[in-house]
Formats: sequence, C-alpha cells, structure tokens
Amino acid sequence: MSEPQPLTNKTDAAAPPISSWGWFGRGFRHAARLPMFVMALTFLGIGSLAHEANVSLGFALASTLLIWAGPAQVIFFGAVIQGLPLPAIALSVSLSSVRLLPMCVSLMPWLRRRDQGLGVALYTAHLIAVTGWVESIRRLPDMPEASRLPWFLGLVHGLVFAAAISTIAGYWLAAEVPREIAAGLLFVTPIYFTAALVRNVREPVDGMALAFGFALSPLLKPFVSAGFDLLAVGVIGGTAAFLGQRWLNARRAGGAL
Amino acid sequence: MMQLDQWSGGLWPYAALVLFGFLPSEVWRMLSVFIGRRIDEASPLLEWVRAVSTALLAGVVANIILTPSGALASVPLFARLGAMAFGLGVYAITGKSVIGAVLAGEAAIIFFAWWFGG
Repeated sequence: MSEPQPLTNKTDAAAPPISSWGWFGRGFRHAARLPMFVMALTFLGIGSLAHEANVSLGFALASTLLIWAGPAQVIFFGAVIQGLPLPAIALSVSLSSVRLLPMCVSLMPWLRRRDQGLGVALYTAHLIAVTGWVESIRRLPDMPEASRLPWFLGLVHGLVFAAAISTIAGYWLAAEVPREIAAGLLFVTPIYFTAALVRNVREPVDGMALAFGFALSPLLKPFVSAGFDLLAVGVIGGTAAFLGQRWLNARRAGGAL
Repeated sequence: MMQLDQWSGGLWPYAALVLFGFLPSEVWRMLSVFIGRRIDEASPLLEWVRAVSTALLAGVVANIILTPSGALASVPLFARLGAMAFGLGVYAITGKSVIGAVLAGEAAIIFFAWWFGG
C-alpha cells in the first residue's frame, strides 16, 4: 500500500474515460495487492474448522458465500462442533454480526444510485464485511461518483474469490500446522486491521475512535455480557470520538473569531 | 434438539445454513439498506456511524490481542503488543505501507512464538 493506486479519474480530456468494468478491474486489482491475501489466510482456518465440524465441502463453501462474515462463521462452526442447539447458534451468529450494521450504514450512502433497485442494494450490502469496509470507507468519498459502486464491487468480488478458494484449500488440508505458523495465522487479522485503521485516520475523530475502541474493550469486558461487549465498545467509543471532534471543531471555530 | 450433523444429506443442511447462519447474520445488512438510504452523505449521523464502526473494529482487534485463543495465547502479552508495535513502526518508516506492517508484524509474532515456545 506504499503507492496507493490512483483513485480519481485523472486522465486528460483526450484519454477515454474509464468504463464501469475498468473501475471494477481497478477495485479487483486493489484487492489483489494485500486484502485478498489477508482473506486467504483467514479463510484457511475457517475451511479447516468446517472440516472439523464434519460438514460437506459444498456446505463449507456455501457458508462463506452466504454468511460472508468470518467471525460469524467461526461461531457457527464452533457451535456445531460443540453440538449447540440450532436456535442458540442462530442467536450467537446474529449477535456477532451486529457489527455489520454500522459498517453497512456508513458505507451504503456511497454505494447507492438514484435508480438502484432493491435487489442490487441488498446484494451490495451482502458483500459488505469488515475487510471491504476498511478498504473502502475512506476511499469511496474521494472517488468520482460513477466509479464508486463498480470499484467497490471489483474489490469485494476479489475478496469473495480469495475467501472461496481458501475455504476449499483449508477444508482439504485441514492439517495441524506448527504452533508458530498457527500463531502467525491468528495474528493476521489484528495487525492488518490495526494498520488499515491507522491508514484510514484523516481527522482526529478517526484516531480517537481507534484509541477509545482499543482501550474500552478490556475495560468494558467485565461489565457487559459476552456478545454485547463489542457493541458497547463501538457505541460508547464511537460516540465519545464523535463528540470529541465536535468539541475540537467548536474550539477551532471559537479561536478563529 | 436437532443437531446439524444429524441432518442426513440432501438439501437439509443447506436449509439449516440459511435459517440459522445466513439469515441471522444478513438481517443487519438488510436493515442497513433501509437505514442507509435515508442518510445524506454530508450528514453528521454518517460521521457518528463511521466512528462507531471504527471503535468497534478497534475493539475486535483489542480482543484478539489482549485475550487471544489457540496458538496466539502461547505468546506472552508483552510480545503480542511488541509484535503489533513493531508492525506499526515499520508502517511508519515505510511511508504508510500496510503490507510492510503485516509482514513485519507476522515475522515478529512467528519469532516470538518460536522463542517462547521452547
């Protein structure tokens, strides 16, 4: 990510404008720079977990394409392995996916079009997961309006492709890896998301939300029941960061007088 | 109570996947389509929702680092935080390279896992 790809249509008048498929390709290529590898490493574990849960390969693949949320899949297969009743599985999965609500809500305004049908909107929302969110939330606003949706779709289809291949690979391999490698695989998510979140910081609100979220997580854990703790961290930390930014803005405006 | 692995072949497991995996997760995305359509791009509400998402994701990361599971738990806390700091240090000196951060952090955590595993 040292050389961010050009996101604005900088071509001069002589050059032909970039088509929707051209933007789709750029989004896909952006995914291929790093996010697809992150997805691949994450979904190796999910494929192997599905194997352990004794489901078919087709089921494992369908879970990736349908649920399309790594943590929810880990909970789903973990609960199947434990033999939890299906309604309990559904509740845990739903609680873990609450995180998708603020992510989708904050991204959807950049992906909607005036004449967009409900089906396209629902499909677009289905493809939003944490990796797609962190890669696009700060990029989409700077892009030409017509390019946002095709670029995003290229990005997330790249992620889906990588995750699907990797689910199959993880299911087939389902091997015990050395502890060092297993630790490395589990570390991909935190280091990637932290670096991507730091990269996304444009205004104080972003940095504050990041810091508050990290600090609040261990502080709230003993007081909020499991499943709701992340939601509490998000709402309290995010609101504090938002108010902090308002306060800074007001102070700046006041100082200018 | 019905268990997934007791459901014999055919399409039944997939029906269970849709009912107990896909729909409970997807309901939040569906809801977002109806909420997101009403929010203006310039609305402060959008900034708030983005801040909530950022804090939530930071909380996810903190959870994994502070209370890890599996093999990552065999690496002491200061080494997990050290690997994170090393990755972010490389991010800073490589001109904001997320790839650099991931590679450096991975190298550090694998080294620590080996070092503290013996």
